[in-house]
Amino acid sequence: MSTGKRAWVALSLLLSLAAATWLWHERTQLLAFPDILSAYSAKEYCSCRYVMQNSVEYCQSYIRQYLPLSSLSEDSGQRRVLASGLGRSNTAAWVGPRQGCRLIPGSDG
Amino acid sequence: MSRLFILSIFLLCSVSVGAQSWPSAQWRQALAPASPAIAELERYAFVPRDDVTREGVRTDALLVIRDGEIVYERYAGPGAADRVHATWSISKSLLATVMGVAYGEGRFALEDAAADYFQPLDAHRDIRVEDLLHWASGLDWEKDYEYAPLNSSVVAMLYTRGRQDMASYAASHRRAHAPGERFRYSSGDSNLLAAALRNMVGLHEYPDYPWQALFNPLGIDRAVWETDASGTFVASSYAYLTARDLARVGLLMQRDGQWQGRQWLPQAWVALNRTPFAPSQDVPGEPAAGAHWWLNSNAAWPHAPRSTMAALGHWGQALYVLPEQRLVIVRYADDRDASFSHDALLQRLLAAFAPEGGQ
Repeated sequence: MSTGKRAWVALSLLLSLAAATWLWHERTQLLAFPDILSAYSAKEYCSCRYVMQNSVEYCQSYIRQYLPLSSLSEDSGQRRVLASGLGRSNTAAWVGPRQGCRLIPGSDG
Repeated sequence: MSRLFILSIFLLCSVSVGAQSWPSAQWRQALAPASPAIAELERYAFVPRDDVTREGVRTDALLVIRDGEIVYERYAGPGAADRVHATWSISKSLLATVMGVAYGEGRFALEDAAADYFQPLDAHRDIRVEDLLHWASGLDWEKDYEYAPLNSSVVAMLYTRGRQDMASYAASHRRAHAPGERFRYSSGDSNLLAAALRNMVGLHEYPDYPWQALFNPLGIDRAVWETDASGTFVASSYAYLTARDLARVGLLMQRDGQWQGRQWLPQAWVALNRTPFAPSQDVPGEPAAGAHWWLNSNAAWPHAPRSTMAALGHWGQALYVLPEQRLVIVRYADDRDASFSHDALLQRLLAAFAPEGGQ
């Protein structure tokens, strides 16, 4: 191996090591990260609809983020909202006139 | 005829308390006539809305109470007089007000270890209740909402790792400073207080306590306060009230904790809320932190009096209390960019409604 090539190998090894260290260091945050979009959307859409009692159109716009959801569905009889995005799904449900909405345990995250 | 009779009884009742006007089931109205100052206020606060770009100042509700009476009220977008609105972090100041009633009932002392009321804090036994009220737990909290979601403690608490039991999630943070040493705005500290309140008032009373202690006595009948899956009130973010009901809490604070002539919050508690946290470093342009209220003691809002106190929330929510001007102002909003300025709004509000000027 030439000296130049050896330097490149050393550099890329170093960079891979740095990336691996960062991934390990941030592992809990990184694993939880894809849930943020669908959990945020399910919870805030539920509160927008069933606590603040706004329209479907308003609430869809209210929760819009830079990253799009792959789906958003609500069961207005049960007052439950299912949101999916970044490969994860989360459900929020209205639990009562004083308690409003919350994310349901058992959905991802 | 009978309506007139009921109305006169109602007026007699509201007047009989004395010179001060207090709201009963409804607020009394003494709407200010149109004026150039009000027109200027509306040019600032009620810009035509663009719901696609969501740019600019987007006020949903603006309610002004002077001397205990409505002098101005306007709604836009989703806002309406009979509709509750998200208060976001105004919830923190509401929790502090609920805790003020518990404090008056002798349920805790400020210097108590918070761990006495919330066992997951056992690793941090030197954090006192007062430190949590000052957002000075010393726990290593990352507060950014939207710009650094990967490491944001508040996003993780509300939506992912912390959402089942937000206070335990907050308690699991490592220490960055000694408690009580420095101010670090933390939604975790607020939810730790909400969890501590459970054992201060007892498991049985806790789910009803905000209503029993504060909302019912003040005539607030439409409050929603969401909890996490463990049943702890999400004191950091999730109380919903109508603008008219939130103004009742503002009037309580404007009048030094009195309601209908009765000292509902201890004066010492209101004094604590109004005292800037001494060792805190003020963030440039932001008001000083009192005990779970914001204070203009540092003149961060140069056009407003230094005695102004406020409860503030994400996306432009605000409850301003101006004791010297006898004004309480609620603003609900959906501001998605940084166009809105508290100082610019307060300047126009004062021009329009301060008793000694404007009109």
